[in-house]
Amino acid sequence: MLNWIVGFTILIVKLGVVLLVLLLLAAYLVWLERKFLARLQIRYGPNRAGKFGLLQPIADTIKMLTKEDIVPAAADRFIFLLAPAVVATTALMMFAVVPFGSHLTLWGRQIPLVITDLNVGLLYVFALSSLGVYGVAMGGWASNSKYSLLGGIRGAAQMISYELALGLSLVPVVMLAGSFSIVDIVNAQAKYPFIIVQPFAFVIFMISAMAESKRIPFDLPEAENELGAGYHTEYSGIRFGLFFLGEYVHLQILGALVAVLFLGGWRGPILPPPVWLFMKMIFVALIMIWVRGTLPRLRYDQLMALGWKVLIPLALVNIMVTGAILLI
Amino acid sequence: MNDAVEAVKALAIGFATTFKHLFRKPITEEYPEYKRPLPARSRARIILTRDPDGAERCVACYLCSAVCPVSCISMQSAENEDGRRYAQWFRINFARCIYCGLCEEACPTSAIQLTPEFENCENDILALVYEKKNLLVDHQGKDKEYNYYKYAGVATEVGKKGEHVKEERPVNIKSNLP
Amino acid sequence: MPTIIIDDREIEVAPGTKVIEAAEQLGIMIPRFCYHPALGSVGACRVCAVKFLQGPFKGVQMSCMVDAQDDMVVSTTDKEAVAFRKYVIECLMLHHPHDCPVCDAGGHCLLQDMTVSGGHGIRRYLGKKRTYPDQYLGPLIQHEMNRCIHCYRCSRFYQDFGGYHDLGAMQSANQTYFGRFEEGILESPFSGNLIDICPTGVYTDKPSRYFGRRWDYERSPSLCINCSLGCQTVVSCRYRKVVRQEARLSESVNGHFICDRGRYGFFYNSLAQRPRSCIVDDQTTSVDQALAAVKQKLETFADKDRAQAVACAGSTRNSLETLAMVKHVCQTNRWQPPAYFEDAAATYKLKSAISRLEPDLTVSLREIESADFIAVLGADPLNEAPMLALALRQAQRKGATVAVFDPRPIFLPFEFKHLPANLDMIQTDLGALLNAALEPAALKKLDGSAREFYASLATVKQISAARQAEIVALAELLKASQRPIIVCGTEMVRRQTPALAADYALLMQAAGKSVGLFYVMPGANGFAAGLLADEDVSVETLIAGIEKGSIKMLILVESNPLWQFPDRHRLEQALQQLEVLVVMDYINSEVAQKADIFLPTTTLYETGGVYVNQEGRAQGVKPAYQGGIPIAQTGHGDHPPRVYGTEIPGAEPQAAWQLLAHLIGTGQPLTAEDLRAEIWQWLAKIDSGFKALPCVADIQPQGARFFQAPHAAERFLRERPIGGADNDGQLEVMAVEMTFGTEELSADSACLKALAGSPVIFMYSSDAKQLNLTDGDRVSVELNGGAVEARLQVTANMAAGMLIIPRHKDLDWQKMNTDKTFVHKDQIRKLKD
Ligand code: SF4
Ligand code: SF4
Ligand code: SF4
Ligand code: SF4
Ligand code: FES
Repeated sequence: MLNWIVGFTILIVKLGVVLLVLLLLAAYLVWLERKFLARLQIRYGPNRAGKFGLLQPIADTIKMLTKEDIVPAAADRFIFLLAPAVVATTALMMFAVVPFGSHLTLWGRQIPLVITDLNVGLLYVFALSSLGVYGVAMGGWASNSKYSLLGGIRGAAQMISYELALGLSLVPVVMLAGSFSIVDIVNAQAKYPFIIVQPFAFVIFMISAMAESKRIPFDLPEAENELGAGYHTEYSGIRFGLFFLGEYVHLQILGALVAVLFLGGWRGPILPPPVWLFMKMIFVALIMIWVRGTLPRLRYDQLMALGWKVLIPLALVNIMVTGAILLI
Repeated sequence: MNDAVEAVKALAIGFATTFKHLFRKPITEEYPEYKRPLPARSRARIILTRDPDGAERCVACYLCSAVCPVSCISMQSAENEDGRRYAQWFRINFARCIYCGLCEEACPTSAIQLTPEFENCENDILALVYEKKNLLVDHQGKDKEYNYYKYAGVATEVGKKGEHVKEERPVNIKSNLP
Repeated sequence: MPTIIIDDREIEVAPGTKVIEAAEQLGIMIPRFCYHPALGSVGACRVCAVKFLQGPFKGVQMSCMVDAQDDMVVSTTDKEAVAFRKYVIECLMLHHPHDCPVCDAGGHCLLQDMTVSGGHGIRRYLGKKRTYPDQYLGPLIQHEMNRCIHCYRCSRFYQDFGGYHDLGAMQSANQTYFGRFEEGILESPFSGNLIDICPTGVYTDKPSRYFGRRWDYERSPSLCINCSLGCQTVVSCRYRKVVRQEARLSESVNGHFICDRGRYGFFYNSLAQRPRSCIVDDQTTSVDQALAAVKQKLETFADKDRAQAVACAGSTRNSLETLAMVKHVCQTNRWQPPAYFEDAAATYKLKSAISRLEPDLTVSLREIESADFIAVLGADPLNEAPMLALALRQAQRKGATVAVFDPRPIFLPFEFKHLPANLDMIQTDLGALLNAALEPAALKKLDGSAREFYASLATVKQISAARQAEIVALAELLKASQRPIIVCGTEMVRRQTPALAADYALLMQAAGKSVGLFYVMPGANGFAAGLLADEDVSVETLIAGIEKGSIKMLILVESNPLWQFPDRHRLEQALQQLEVLVVMDYINSEVAQKADIFLPTTTLYETGGVYVNQEGRAQGVKPAYQGGIPIAQTGHGDHPPRVYGTEIPGAEPQAAWQLLAHLIGTGQPLTAEDLRAEIWQWLAKIDSGFKALPCVADIQPQGARFFQAPHAAERFLRERPIGGADNDGQLEVMAVEMTFGTEELSADSACLKALAGSPVIFMYSSDAKQLNLTDGDRVSVELNGGAVEARLQVTANMAAGMLIIPRHKDLDWQKMNTDKTFVHKDQIRKLKD
C-alpha cells in the first residue's frame, strides 16, 4: 500500500516537473525560433520585452490569456471548443514515453527518468500523433469557414501521408534495437548513436517530422497567404494559444524523438543526462528553424509527391537494406 | 541524377546563405531610438493647408470624402461672408484611414495633403477622430503656389468677376456693342 | 408608323418622334443639352449629333431636330459623330469657369457628365474666358451666369412653357445673357424648375446652397402635400435633415415640373422649433407616459354616455392612415364622429364633388393639357393649386380657350377670359354659356332629365348686359370644342357649386362632347377626408358642442384650427372651455402650445404615408430618412456631436396613427406594417369608397386612381343654378388663399416669406370709387370680431360687391363669421398713413 502511494506520488511529481518543463520550453522555443529566424534573416527578432526579448513569451501568454475568446456564430460549438484541446493534449501525452535519463536514486528508491516505459512506446507515439490529426480536422471543420475547412483537409491529408514515411523510417531503428520500447532503443545506442548507421532513416524521419508538425516548408494547412491561418483561422485567445502550444510541444517531441532514436538520447559525457537530452532537442529544433528560414513552402502536389513517391519508397528500400545487412 | 545533384547544390547554397546571415549584423533600424527621415511625399497624418494668402484652401467640395475608400472623411460645406465656400466642420477618422492618399489626389485645391508624420497613435480611439481645428495648419504643405479662388469664376474677396486669372471683363448686358 | 434602325437595332415609333427620342426608347441616351422632353428641340447646342448612314439624307445631323422616318439607319457611335460631339463639348467648355468644386451642380451636372463621357479632359484653349455679371433673382435661386452654355432651356421654360416674361435671353452672339432686365425676385412661382432644367450650374438652389452633393443625399421618391394636386417629387435628405425637394417625372400628375410652394414647402420638417418631446401639463415626458396621461383622462369618459363628451379632429394634411385611424378611434370608443374640415359646408361640398367623379368624367392634371376649352369655376388656379395654372398654360399654348368664372382678381400667366362675378352668379354665367353653346343638333340628343336641366339654365338674355357679348363669344368657341374640361373649386364656392359643375359636364357629355371634370380641393388629403367625413360634422360643430358643454375633451390630430378658422375669438373661447385638450402634431402650431397634453408625431418624410389627390389618385410615400433631430442641431457648431451610439436623438415621435392605435384597447402593440394592414382592412370594411384601394406595397410610384364614383341613376336633378341674391349693397368678404404664405406647412419655410408679399385687401374699382377710396389707401374693415387693417388694392379684375382678403400671415383676418360674412360700406374706413 505504502509502496503504491509513494509510487503514485513520484509519478505525479514527475508528471508535474515534465509538464512544467515542457510548457516552459514550448514558450521559450517560440522565443528561440523568433530570435534564430530573425538572425537568419539579418533581423533582431523580439528585443523589447526584457533583455533580448526574453520576457516576450510571457507577454504573449498574458496577451493570449486576456484576449477575447470568440466562437463564431455558425461554428459547431462543441467540436470547435474541443479541437484545440485535442491537439494540445495529444502532443503533451506523447512525451510520456520519452526517457530523459536512465534513473535517479532517491532515498534508496530507483526512479526511472521516464514517465512510463511502455514496451510499445514507439507505437504509442504514432498512435497519439495520429490522434492529433483529429484536432486539426475537427478545428477546420467546426469553424464553418472555408479557409478553416481547406486547412483542416490539407492538414489531415498531409499528416496521414507523412505518418507512413515517419513510421517506415523508424522500422530499421526498431530492427536494430529489437524493441518498441523507447527506453530500450536508447539503451541500444549505448555504443554509438543510430544516426551513424541509419543516416537515410534519419533524413527521412527529419523531413517527415517537419511535415508532421506542419512546419515550413510543409505548412500548407495554415498557409497564410492562401488560407488566412488555415484550420485555426477562426480561433482567438487561449484557444488559439492551445493550437500554438500543441505545435511547439510537437516540435519538442519530435526533437526529443530524433534525439532519442538517432542521437543517443540522454547519453553523453560529463553533463547530466537530462541536459544532454535537452541540448540535443534544441539542436534538432535549431535545424528545423534553419530549414524554415531557408526553404519556401512546397506546392501541394510537390508535398504529396515528396511523401508518396520519394520518402516512402526510400524508407522501404532502407528497411530492406537494413534487413539484409542484419541478416548477413 | 544530374537533377538531384543540382537540387542538392541549390539546397546547399540556400542553407549556406542563411547560415552566413547568422554572423552578419542585423540591418534593422531600431525605432524609436533611430527615426529615419521620411521622404516628403510619404503618406501619413493628413493636414488641411492654407493658400499663400493664408486663407483656408479647402472649399468643402466633398470630392475627398467621395473618393475615400473607407469613408472616413465627413464634412459640412457652407458659405462665409465673402462668398467663399468653406468647410463648416471637417472630420477625419484616423482610426479608419488607410493612408491611401486618394483624397489628396482628388482634391482640386491642394488643400488636403498627407504628411510624413505618422506617430499619431492613441489608446482612446475617439482621440483619433480629428476635427477641422486639429487638421488645419498654417502653411501650404507641398504645394506652395496654388490659390484656387484665383482661377475659379466665382466672385470672392480674392477676385470679382473678370478679375481672376485669364478672364475678360464681364459682359455689359445693357449694351449690344461687341 | 416609321421604323428606324439606330445602332443596328430596329424600333417602330409614333410619327413625329425625333430620332433622339426614338433612341431613348431603345435605351440609348444620346447626349443633349437643349433638347428636353417638355420643351422640345431647338437645335441650339449641337451636342446630340449622330450620323445618318442611310435614308432620306446622310451625314452628321442633330438627332433632336430630325423626325424618325422609314429607312433611316443611324449610328450614334460613328467616329465622325463622336468626334463632332467631342469638339462641340470642347467649344462649349471654352469659357466655362473652373468652378466645379464650388458649384452646387457638381455631381449631378449634365455638362460634367457630357464633358467626361465625351472625352474632353484637357483644356487646349489658352485664351481669356468671357465672364458675366450675376443677378439677384430672389431667395430661391442663385445665379452664376459664367457657367452658361447657351442651350436656351431656361428661357424656353420660363417664357414659352411657363408664360412669365421677366427672365430670358438678352444681348447677342458670344455675349448672350440669360437673366432679368433688372435684378429682382423672379415673378414666376415655378422658377425653381430652372434649377432642375438648366444642364449646368447657372441656376442653383439657394436654400440648400453649398450644403452637400447629390451623391451624399439620401434621395427617395416623395410627394408634395402643400396642395390637393399631389405633385410627385424627389426628396433629398442628409444628416437627418430634409435638404431639397425636386420634381419627379409623373405622366399623370405634374409632368416634369413642380411649383415653388411645393419645392420649398418642406422646411417645417427640420425646424429647430419642431416639437420632439411629449408635454403633459408643461412637463416634458416620454411617449409612454404621455399616452398614459391621455388614457387616464379618457377614463373619466369611459362609460357609454360620457364617451360622447370626447371629440377628435383630423385635418386634410393627415395621411390616409391617420385619417382612417382618427375615425376608427372615434367609432370604437363611441366618441363624437371625427371632424376633418373647419366648416360643415366643406364636408358637404367635398362629398358632392367626390360622388360626381365618375370614371368617364374624371381627368388628371396632365390630361388638362390636351383640352381645347377649359371653364374654371370658382377656383383660383395659381393660388389654390399652382401647378394647375401651368397645366392650363400648356392647354392654352396648344390653342385652348381658358375662361375663369370667379369673383377673385385672378391672374394666370397667359391670355385667358376672366368673367368675374360674385359667388352666386358664377354658376349662372357658366350655365348661360352652356345654354348658348349647345347647338340645336346637340340638343336633340338630350334625353328627359338632361333636357329638363338644360331648360333650367339661364339664357344669355337673363345675365347682365355687359357680360352678354363675352358669353356669346365664348359660346362660339365652346361650340367648336371637342374636349372641354370644367375645373371647379370646392373651397370658396357655394354648397351647390361642385355638384352643378358636374351637372354641366354631364350636360355637355349628353350633347356629345368628350368632357372632363376636375376639382380642386382643400388640403393634400381633402379627397380622403371627404370620403371618410361624416356629413355635417366639422370643427364648427365641435365648437358648438363645446359651447353647449356637451364636449369636454378634444383631441386634435395634426390639426390646427387656429391657423385659418374664420372666427378666431370664438374658437379660442371654446378651447378654453375644454377640460382636456390633447394635440398631436409635428409642427409647433399655436394650438399645440395651448395643449394640456402634447404628443409629437412624425412627418411624411419620416414615416411615409398615403395621400389621395383631388382626382382620387392614391399616392404612397416611403420614409425618406430615419427621423431624428438634424445633426446640425445636436452638434456643437463647428463639429457634429462626438458621442457615439446607435440611438437616434429625437427619433422618439411616432406617426399619429401609431399613437392613436394605443387609444384603442387592443392591448397588443402592433408593428407599423401590421397596423397599416389592419387600417386597410378596416377601410375596406366600412363602406366608404375605399374598396378598391390597393394596399400600400402595391401603390406604384405613379400612384393609382382607385376611386370610381358609381353612375348616378338620376342625373342633373341634384342642384339648380341660383340667381344672384340681393346683398343690400353690402360687400361679401372672402378670405382667400395665396400661392405663398397661406398654406400652413409651406408658411414655415423662411425662404418663401419674401414671396408672400405684404398684406392687402382687394376691392372692385367702382366699389372703391363709391367709397372714395383709391389704390394704395390704408383701410380698416370693421368685421364682426374687430377691425382688419391693410392696404387697399383696387382692381377692375374682380367681381363687384366683394371684398377679397388674402389670408396673409401678418394680417389679423380671423374675425369673420363662420358662415358668409358681409360688411356694410360704412364699415370700411380709410386710415391715415
Ligand atoms: S488617405 Fe485614403 S483612407 Fe485616408 S482619408 Fe484619404 S482617401 Fe481616405
Ligand atoms: S477635396 Fe480638397 S477642397 Fe474638396 S473638400 Fe476635400 S479637402 Fe476640401
Ligand atoms: S456647371 Fe457643371 S461643369 Fe460647370 S462648374 Fe458647375 S458642376 Fe462644373
Ligand atoms: S442658363 Fe442654363 S438653361 Fe439657360 S441657356 Fe444657360 S445653360 Fe441653358
Ligand atoms: S440637343 Fe440637339 S442640338 Fe441640343
